[in-house]
Amino acid sequence: MQVPTTVREMIAGLAARTLTSEAILANCYDTIAQRENVVKAFLSLVPREQALAQAREIDRRRAAGEKLPPTAGIPIAIKDNIAVANMRATAGSKMLADYVSPFHATAVEKLLTAGLIVIGKTNTDEYGFGSSTENSAFGHTTNPHDPTRVPGGTSGGSAAAVAAGFVPWALGSDTGGSVRQPASLCGVVGLRPTYGRVSRYGLIAYASSMDTIGPIATTVEDAAMLLNIIEGRDDNDMTSRDFAQTQSPAQPRIAIVSEYLAPPCNVEVAAAVRSAADTARTVGASLTETSLATTQHALATYYIIACVEAASNLGRYDGVRYGHRAKDATSIDDMITRSRSEAFGSEAKRRIMLGTYAASAGYSDQYYRKACEVRRLIKQDFDRAFEHADFLLTPVSPSTAWKIGEKSTDPLAMYLADVLSVPASLAGVPAIVIPWGKDANGLPIGVQLTAQSGNDDALIAFARKLAQ
Amino acid sequence: MSRSFDMIASVRLIVGLEIHVELATRTKVFSRVTNPAHASVGDIAPNTLIDPVVLALPGALPVLNKEAVEMSMMVGFALNCTIADLTKWDRKSYFYPDLPKAYQISQYDLPVCFDGSVDLPAVDDKGFPDLTKPSKQIGIIRAHLEEDAGKLLHEAPGGFAIDYSIADYNRAGTPLLEIVTQPDFDNADDVVLFAKLLRNVCRFLGVSEGVMQKGHMRFEPNINCVLTLRDGHTVKTPIVEVKNLNSFKSVKGAIEFELREQPGRWVADGREFGPGTKVTRGWDDHANRTYVQREKEDAQDYRYFPDPDILTLRIDEAWKNRVRTAVPELPMQRFERYVRDASLGVKEAFALVEERDVCYFYEAIIDGMVMQGIERPRASKVAANLVLQQAFKRANEQNLLASEIGITAHEAAAIGILREQGKLGNQAVDELFDLLCTANLVQGRATDPGSAGSVPSSSQPPTTQIKDQLHTAFARVEQFAREWGLLIVRDDAAINTAIEQTIAANPKVAEDVRAGKVQAVGRLVGEVMKLAPGKGDAKTVREELLKRLTP
Repeated sequence: MQVPTTVREMIAGLAARTLTSEAILANCYDTIAQRENVVKAFLSLVPREQALAQAREIDRRRAAGEKLPPTAGIPIAIKDNIAVANMRATAGSKMLADYVSPFHATAVEKLLTAGLIVIGKTNTDEYGFGSSTENSAFGHTTNPHDPTRVPGGTSGGSAAAVAAGFVPWALGSDTGGSVRQPASLCGVVGLRPTYGRVSRYGLIAYASSMDTIGPIATTVEDAAMLLNIIEGRDDNDMTSRDFAQTQSPAQPRIAIVSEYLAPPCNVEVAAAVRSAADTARTVGASLTETSLATTQHALATYYIIACVEAASNLGRYDGVRYGHRAKDATSIDDMITRSRSEAFGSEAKRRIMLGTYAASAGYSDQYYRKACEVRRLIKQDFDRAFEHADFLLTPVSPSTAWKIGEKSTDPLAMYLADVLSVPASLAGVPAIVIPWGKDANGLPIGVQLTAQSGNDDALIAFARKLAQ
Repeated sequence: MSRSFDMIASVRLIVGLEIHVELATRTKVFSRVTNPAHASVGDIAPNTLIDPVVLALPGALPVLNKEAVEMSMMVGFALNCTIADLTKWDRKSYFYPDLPKAYQISQYDLPVCFDGSVDLPAVDDKGFPDLTKPSKQIGIIRAHLEEDAGKLLHEAPGGFAIDYSIADYNRAGTPLLEIVTQPDFDNADDVVLFAKLLRNVCRFLGVSEGVMQKGHMRFEPNINCVLTLRDGHTVKTPIVEVKNLNSFKSVKGAIEFELREQPGRWVADGREFGPGTKVTRGWDDHANRTYVQREKEDAQDYRYFPDPDILTLRIDEAWKNRVRTAVPELPMQRFERYVRDASLGVKEAFALVEERDVCYFYEAIIDGMVMQGIERPRASKVAANLVLQQAFKRANEQNLLASEIGITAHEAAAIGILREQGKLGNQAVDELFDLLCTANLVQGRATDPGSAGSVPSSSQPPTTQIKDQLHTAFARVEQFAREWGLLIVRDDAAINTAIEQTIAANPKVAEDVRAGKVQAVGRLVGEVMKLAPGKGDAKTVREELLKRLTP
C-alpha cells in the first residue's frame, strides 16, 4: 500500500478504502526507525504497537460503516510544551523531566475528537526560549536536510518531524516565531494564527500575551485543515475568540517591507522573497513596497515583554507541588532557590533575570511600560500597512539553517535570528511561512505572508495560491 | 536630640482599615472548582478542592468568575462606591509555598470599586446606634477582587510535631474582596463598630456568611499616632500594619496596644512616619500584644504588571443597574425604618436587623397582618413582640435563626391576628407558637409559602396567590388552636362570676384601684384569668374590672 505524504491524500485514501490508518502509522514508524536516531525530533514516542492498535481499531470501525471524522486515524506529533493527558510534558526542561500532565490541552482535546492519533511529543528549547532547539535539556534536534545544522526553533522537533516524514503534520507553538522560523529552516509550512484563535489552555506558558499554538504541515492546505480542527473560543481561555470567515480578494495587494530585506537578512533569502513577489504577480496580485518603521525596535520590545511575562510564568516551578525538587534543603527558601538553580537551563535563568529586572520598581517605567507603549506603535504600524496592502510578503528568518553550536554561545546572535518574526508576534497578527526554494547549500528557504488580525482564512487562501 | 515622654503633650490615633472578605461564590474566583467559603461546604479533607488552575499546573489558565465580580459590585454599591467602567487584574509576585503560581492575581490600579463612604452611626452608652447624634463619615478608598492563597500547617493533624510543613490548597483561589478605608478612624471602638456593620452588610447582601472563626472576614488595621509635643511641633509615628485579625476582640486589642506602645517606641528610637518605614506586625491573642513580622513592608517589590491571561473587563451601565437592583435594603436603613415607622426601641430594632432572614420573617408577619386589616403601625408592634419574645426564645434554645424555628410567617401573622381579635390569651399565644413550630419541623412544612426567605420584604400589593396562602394559613392556625383548646370561648357569665369573686377576695387591691392606682388592676386581671381560663381575654377583663372599680 503506497502511503501518500499529505493529509489531504491520506483522507482521500481512507475515504476510498484504498488506504488504512494502520498502513499510515506503520509507514510513520518505519521512517522514524530509519532516521530518528539522527534527527532526534521526539522527547516521548508512543510505542509502535500501541499506536498501531489504535489505528487498527479506527480501520475496523470505519470498515464497519461507522461514521468517523474524515481525519480519524491520521497521526500527529505534539510539541512537548502542550499537554496531552497521561503523557510527559517537559517543555524541554529538566524541571519537568518527570512531569506527566493529568489533562489535555484544549487543542489536543479537539484533535482527539477529530480522531487523530498522537504518536509522540517533540523536542523544544526549554519553555520556548531559543531559536534552534539547542536549548533543550534533553539534547538538540537536527535539521533533516543536513544533520550538522539546526532545525530552527523552538518548535524544531515538530518541524523536523514533519520534514523528515515522521508525521504528516504536527502542532508547534509560536511566541516570537517558534512555528514559522523552524518551518522556514526545515522547508515545511508553518502557521501562526491570530492571537486568541486557538485556545492556549494546556500550552505551557512562555509569554502569555504572544503565545499561540500553530500547525506545521507539508502543504498550506494541510496546515489550514489542522487550524480548522483546533481553532475556536474556549471557556478555559479568556483570551480565546471565534473569528468570522474571511476571503482573499481576487486581486490582493501584496506589499514587500523594505526594512525586512536589508541586512541582517542575507542575499539569498532576500532574492527568494523577490522571486515569490514575482510569482504573486503572476497569480493576480498587485505589488507595492511599504515601510514598517518600528521594525528596528521590535526585537528589543519583544525581549523585554517576553522576559517579563516569562519570569512571572516560571514562578510556579518552585519544587513544592511538582517538578524537580532539590535534595536536603535546609529551609523553604533554600529549597525553592536550589530547585530552580539546579533545574533551569542557562537561557531560562537569563530570561528570568532580565524579566525580573525589567518589571521591578524603578525600572518598570523605563523597560516594561516603555516596551508596552512601543508595542502599541508597532501594532499601529501594521494597521497602517494593512490599509494599503492585504498581505505583507517578507522573509521570516534572515538566514537559512546554521551549524549546530554556531550561535549557542552568543545569546545576542541567537536573539537576532528572531528579528523578522517577532513583529507579527507583538502585533498579534496571523502569519504563514511557505517553502520557497533552496540556497546554494541546498538548504530550504521560506517566505512569510502576514495578514491583518483575524484574516487567517484569507491569508491561507492566498498562500495556497502562491504555493501552487 | 534626646527624647522623653515629658515632651509629649497629647496623642492622637489614626487608623485605616483593610478588610478581606471571602466571597461566598459557588466556585473559586479563577476556576470551576468549589469554593470553600460557599455555604454548602462543610468540613473538607485537605487538598480536595483543587484542580489544574488552583495547583498552577503547567498550561492551566485562570478564567474570571462573573459571580465574584457581581458580589464585589454589590458590596461596592452598599459602600456607596463608584463601580469602575473598566477594571483589570494584575500579577503580584512573590515566592511562598502557599502561593502556587508565585504570583497572586490581584488588582493594582483599576479596582472594581473605588471612592465610597459609609455613615458610621454614633452609639449610646450601651453601644446601640444613637440616631439623634450626628454620624461619622468613613471614606472607602477602594475595594478590589483578588484570590486567596492556600494554607500552611506546621504541625501534623492532631497536633504532632513535624520537621516539615504541609500545604493545603483548598483555600487557594477563594475570591477575596479587599476593602480599604481612608485613615478616618480615631478610636478602636469605631473601628470595631465599622467592622461589625460591614460584616452585617455582607451577610445581608448574601456575599459572605461572615463566620469569623472560619476566616470569612480578616481585618488589617494600619495604625499610627500623631504626637503633639509641648513645643508645639507634631510628630507622626511610622505606620504599623497588623495582619490577619479574625475577631473583633483582636481588632480592638491590637489598636489599643499600638496606641499605648507607639509613643514609647518614638521616645526609644525616634523613628517617624515616611517612605520605607511601614512595619508589619502580627497579633498574639494570648499575650494580648502585637509582634514584629516584617520591617519595611512598603519597600517590598511585588513587580505588579497586568495579567495577560485575564481580559480587561468592561462594566456597562446595564450590568451595573442589574446588580444595583439586587442590593436589598441594608441593616442600618432597616434599623432606622423600624425605629421610625414601627416605634421600636433601639435595642429591639437592633436585635431584628442582625439577620437578613429575620428581617424578612418579621416584615412578612407584618404584611400578613396588614392584609387581614390590622393597621401597619399596630401590626409592626405585634409582629415585633412575636419575633422578639416568642421566636427569639426558641431560636436561642435551638441555636437557630428566629426565622428557622419551624413556624411560617403567615402562621405567625395568624397568631397575631387572633391575639388582636381577643381570641388568644398570653399563655395560649405561647403554646400555639410552640405547637406550630414543632408540628412544622416534624412535618417538614417549614418550606411552605410564607416561611422565611420566600417572602418578599416589600409592601407591594398582595397577589391573589399570597392572599389565598394567607387565608389557608389563617384557617389552619385557627383550627389548630381550636383543636388544642387554646381559643378563648367567650363566656361573659363565667367571667362576671370570676370578677366578683376576685374583687371580694382582694379587697385591699380593689381599694387601691378605686383610690386611683390604676396599674394595680393588673394583679386582679391575672386572678380573674386563673379563675376562668379560656373564657375571656385579658383586655376585656381589664376593661370590665376598671368599669366596676372606677367611677
